[in-house]
Amino acid sequence: MSVTDSMSAVRPDLIEKVTGRAEYVTDLVIPGMLHGFVVRSPATHARISSIDASVARSVPGVVDVLIGADVVSFGCWGVVLKDRPIMAIDRVRYVGEPVAVVIAETIEIAEVAAELVDIAYDELPHATTIREAMMADAPLIHEHHENLEDFYFKGGARPTPSSNIFHTYRNDVGDVDAAEAVAAYVHEDHFTFPAISHFAMEPHAVIADFQGDSLTVWAGAQTPTAVQKVLSRLFGLALAKVRVIVPFVGGGFGGKASVKIEPLVAAASWKVRRPVRVAQSMAESMLTCRRLGADITIRTAVDANGRILAKSARLLLDGGAYSDTGSAVATKSANRIMGPYVVPNMRLEACAVYTNTIPGAAFRSIGGPQAVWAKESHMDNVAAAIGMDPTEFRMLNLASRGERIRPDLRALDMDMSELIGRVTRSFAPDAQPSNRKAHGLALAATDPANTPISNAIVRLKIDGSILVSVSSIEVGQGAHATMAQIAAQTLKQKVSAVTVLRSDTAVAPYDWGTGASRSTVVVGLSVESAALDAADQILDMVAEVWELPRDGLSLVEGGVSTGPDVLTFHQIFHRSLGVDSGEVVGRGAITPRSKKGSLAESPLFWETSAALAEIVVDEETGEIRVPRYASAADVGRVINRVAAEGQDEGAAVMGLGHALHEALEFEDGQPVNATPIDYSIPRITDVPPSFDTILVENGDGPGPGGAKGMGEGAILPVAPAIANALFAAYGIRITDLPMTPEKVWRALQKRN
Amino acid sequence: MLPSPFQFERPSTIADAVRAVGESGDGMFYAGGTELLLALKMRVIRADRLIDIKGIPGLDCIAVNGMNEIEIGARCTHRKISGDPVIREHVPALASLCAEVANIRVRNVGTIGGNLCFGEPHADPPTMLAALNARLVLVGSRGTREVHADDFIRSEMETVREPDELLRVIVFPRPAGPVTYRRFKHGERPSVNVAMTWSLNADGNTIRSARVRVGALGLRPQPLPVVEGALRNVAVAEARQAIETALPAALDQLEVNADRHGGADYKRHLAGVLLLRSADEAVTAGGSWLK
Repeated sequence: MSVTDSMSAVRPDLIEKVTGRAEYVTDLVIPGMLHGFVVRSPATHARISSIDASVARSVPGVVDVLIGADVVSFGCWGVVLKDRPIMAIDRVRYVGEPVAVVIAETIEIAEVAAELVDIAYDELPHATTIREAMMADAPLIHEHHENLEDFYFKGGARPTPSSNIFHTYRNDVGDVDAAEAVAAYVHEDHFTFPAISHFAMEPHAVIADFQGDSLTVWAGAQTPTAVQKVLSRLFGLALAKVRVIVPFVGGGFGGKASVKIEPLVAAASWKVRRPVRVAQSMAESMLTCRRLGADITIRTAVDANGRILAKSARLLLDGGAYSDTGSAVATKSANRIMGPYVVPNMRLEACAVYTNTIPGAAFRSIGGPQAVWAKESHMDNVAAAIGMDPTEFRMLNLASRGERIRPDLRALDMDMSELIGRVTRSFAPDAQPSNRKAHGLALAATDPANTPISNAIVRLKIDGSILVSVSSIEVGQGAHATMAQIAAQTLKQKVSAVTVLRSDTAVAPYDWGTGASRSTVVVGLSVESAALDAADQILDMVAEVWELPRDGLSLVEGGVSTGPDVLTFHQIFHRSLGVDSGEVVGRGAITPRSKKGSLAESPLFWETSAALAEIVVDEETGEIRVPRYASAADVGRVINRVAAEGQDEGAAVMGLGHALHEALEFEDGQPVNATPIDYSIPRITDVPPSFDTILVENGDGPGPGGAKGMGEGAILPVAPAIANALFAAYGIRITDLPMTPEKVWRALQKRN
Repeated sequence: MLPSPFQFERPSTIADAVRAVGESGDGMFYAGGTELLLALKMRVIRADRLIDIKGIPGLDCIAVNGMNEIEIGARCTHRKISGDPVIREHVPALASLCAEVANIRVRNVGTIGGNLCFGEPHADPPTMLAALNARLVLVGSRGTREVHADDFIRSEMETVREPDELLRVIVFPRPAGPVTYRRFKHGERPSVNVAMTWSLNADGNTIRSARVRVGALGLRPQPLPVVEGALRNVAVAEARQAIETALPAALDQLEVNADRHGGADYKRHLAGVLLLRSADEAVTAGGSWLK
C-alpha cells in the first residue's frame, strides 16, 4: 500500500489537505461575489452619535456600506437570550463589535474605504470585569432579556432583572450547612480563570447569497442547522429556503458553534442583493468570541477519616457583551465541578455575567476547564490540609461505576480507579518524583450536552458504492472518516466504498450540531441505523425476488450471501428492478425516544479524563517544563484510532496552552494581546516529549460498537495536574492561570 | 488585514535604491518584510512606495575582510547566517542565535538588517551585535557613514538611520575569545537577553577585556560597565566569581521597563540569571579557546 493509500484508508481528507486541494470557505468563489470589510468599535461601551459613510460610498468600487440603521427592522437574535442585533445600531458594547460593513468589488477597496467611514462615539460608563459588572451601581449592559426557551438547548436562561447577571443556575443536594457543622475539617479556596481565545487556524469566513426569498450561506459553522434557524427567524424566510453549506472547517473548538458572523454577512448580501464574502483575519476572529473567564469559590467539608461530607461551589462566569451560549457554559461549569466523587451534600451556584468585552462562547468542554482547574487544585489543598496523600484522598472518595454523583444525572458508566491505575503505571517505576521532578494528578468526569437528536441518510448504489449524508461537519476531528467506517462496518463493505457528503442543509437531514463530543455516538448511531435500514431493504429485495428465507441472507463485500452463493448488488438491482440501475435509501433517526428511551437521560455517557503530569521547574526563572505526561480516557470503543488519539492529544496540548501560556487580556475593555503575534499558544517544542495516550475500551458506551464520545476530556486535567505537581514539589499554590514563569518565580520568592 | 495601496520598485543598485526611496512621498526599503508587511497590514505604518532591495547584488555576502573583521551583508537572512561556515567557525553563538530567531518562516525570509532597522526592543540580534562591537555601514544620498551598534537604536522602533539611508553591511572584529548569547522568552519575542564577549590575553587564561550587553529591558541594549570593569584582567577561572560580586550593583544600573514581558524586578533578576549562566558557558568555552 502506498503512503497516500494508507493515509486515505485512515482519513480520506488527509491527502486533500496536505496537497492543498481541500476546499475551505475562503477558497470558494461565487459568481458575482462582492467583498465585505467590517468596521469595528474602538470603544468599550459607547453610544454611537453619528455615522457618516458617504465618503466611503463614493470610493470607486464600493457598492454600499451596511450600517445599523439598515438592520433595525430585523430586530435581535440569539440562541438562548435574544439580546443581539445583527450589528451595533445605536450603541456599542465591546471593542471589536461590528459597526459597519463596507461592501466592494475587491477586498482591497473595501478595506481602504473602511477607513473613510466616519463614526463618532459618546463614551458610556463600562463594566469590563465580573467584579465591576456585579457592583450595585454597575452600568446595565442590557436592559431587557428576551428568553428563547428550548431554542438551542433544553431550557432557557434565568436572568436577574435590572442586573448584568444573565443566568443563574442552582442545584442543592442534601444539607450542606448541617454537614459542615459536624465536619472534622472545612477548607475553602478561590480560583480565577482567564478569557482564552479559540485560536482556530481558519478564522471565521462566510459567504452569503440572498436571492429573493431564499438565502444560501457558505460558512465554517459547527452547527449548520442552528445557523439556518437563526437566519430563517431573523429574515422571515422558510427554513427550507435557507441553505447552509459547510465545506472543510479549519478548527472550531466551539468558536464556530451556535451562530457567529452569519447574520451580519447575510444582512450585507440582503442590502446589495449580491453574494457577499467576509473573510476575517485571525485578529478579527480573536475579537469575535472567546472562552468565558471565571471566578470560582469552592469549599469542601470532610470527616475525620477524610471522607467528603459536603461541597459547595460558586462560579461566576464572564460572559462578555452578548450571551450567546454563556448560560449553558455557566450551568455546565456547576455540573463539572463535582465528580467523580461521592458528595452527599452539595450546594452549587453558577452565574453568567455580562461585561463590556468580547462575547463569550462555547469552547471545548464548556465550563469544564474552569471548573476542573478549581476542583482538582482544591482536592490537593484539602488533602494537604488533612495530611493525606492526594491520590489516596481521591481514591477514598471516588464514586464507583453505577453510582450517581447527583440524583438528576445518569449513573457513572466508567471506573475512574482504572484510569488512575493506567496513568500511574504509565509512569515507569524509575520515574519516581525526585528533587527536580514532581508529579501531579488530576481527574475529570463531565456531562456532555449531547442532545440525542440526529438523522442520517445512507444510500447503497448498484455498484456497491455508498453515500452518507449527515449534518456533522468535518472540522479536522475525523468525523466524516468515522461515519464512513460505521457505514462500511454495518453494511460489511470496504471503507473505500463510502463517500461522506460535504455538509449541506439542503442535502443532509437535520442534526443538532457538531460539538459536545456527540458526533460519534449520536450521529454515529443514526448512520448505523440508516445503514441497517438500507441493509434491510436490500435483503428484503433478495428474499422477495429470489424467494429465499430472509434469515439465510447476509451482506458480504460486493453483495448478499444466500448461503451457497453470493449475489452481487448489480444482479440484485437488475433482476429486482428490471433495469441495470437503482439504489436503496436507508434512513436513520435518533431521538430521545430511540433505543427504548435509553438515550434520554443526561448525560448520554460520562466523558472522562485522568492525567499524570511530570514537571521540572527552573527555579531561577520560574519556567515549568513538562517532560512526561500520561492521559487516560474511557472511550468505550475506538472506531478510528488515529483520529481518536489525535483528539485526545490535541485536547491535552490545548490544555497545556491554558495551563502555561494563554490568556486574552484586557485593560479597561481594550484587548491588549488579541493578535496572533502577542497571543501565545504552545508550540510543538512545548509538547511533553514523553506523552502517553491511553484509551480504555470496555465496549460499554451507547454508540456504535459500544463507543462513547471523546475529544473534550483531555483538555480538563492538564492545568490542575501541573499545579498539583508544583504544589507537591514546592508547596506553592497558583490560583490563577496561566502559570507563567513570572507567576511561579514570584510564588517561589514569597515562599523563601 | 491588507496594506493600503503602495507602489513597488525593484532597483538593481544601491545608488538607485537610495535615489528611489528619497523621491517624494513616503518610500521605504523592503527586504524580508516580516516586520514591515505586518505593520503595513495592521496599518500602524504607512508607505507610498516600497523599494525592494532584493534585486541588488552583493548585499547578502558574509566574509572575513583584510582587517580580520567579519562582514555580514544586511540582506542576509537569519537562516543564511545560521548556516554560514564563516559565522559557524568564528561566532558560533551568532549562528545559534540566528537559528532560533522568531520562527522558521521569519528565519527563512527575515533579514538581519531589517531586524536592526526596525528597532524592536524585544529582538535578539541588536544585543549580540552591540556586544560584538559591530559597526553598521549606512549608504545615503549624502554618502557613506558608520554607526556603532550601541548608537544605532535610538528608542523603541526608532534608529539613527535616515529614511533614505540603506544599511549595507554589518562589520565587527573577529572575536578573540568566547562569545555567548542567552535569552529568556515565554512567547514570540525575548523578554530579556544577554550577550557577552571576552577578549583573552595571549596566554588564553586571563580576560583582557569584556563587553556585556543586556537587551529587551529598556529602549535599546544596555552595557553593564560594572561587570565589564570587574572582568578586566581577571583569570577565566575566576570570572564567575567576579561577575557574581559585581552583579547587584550592575543590575541596579539597568533601566528596566515593566511591560507584558514581566515586572521590572523579575526581568532585572532574569538578566542576572542569564549573565551567570553565560559566565559558566564562557568559562567552559574559554578553557578550550586556544587549544
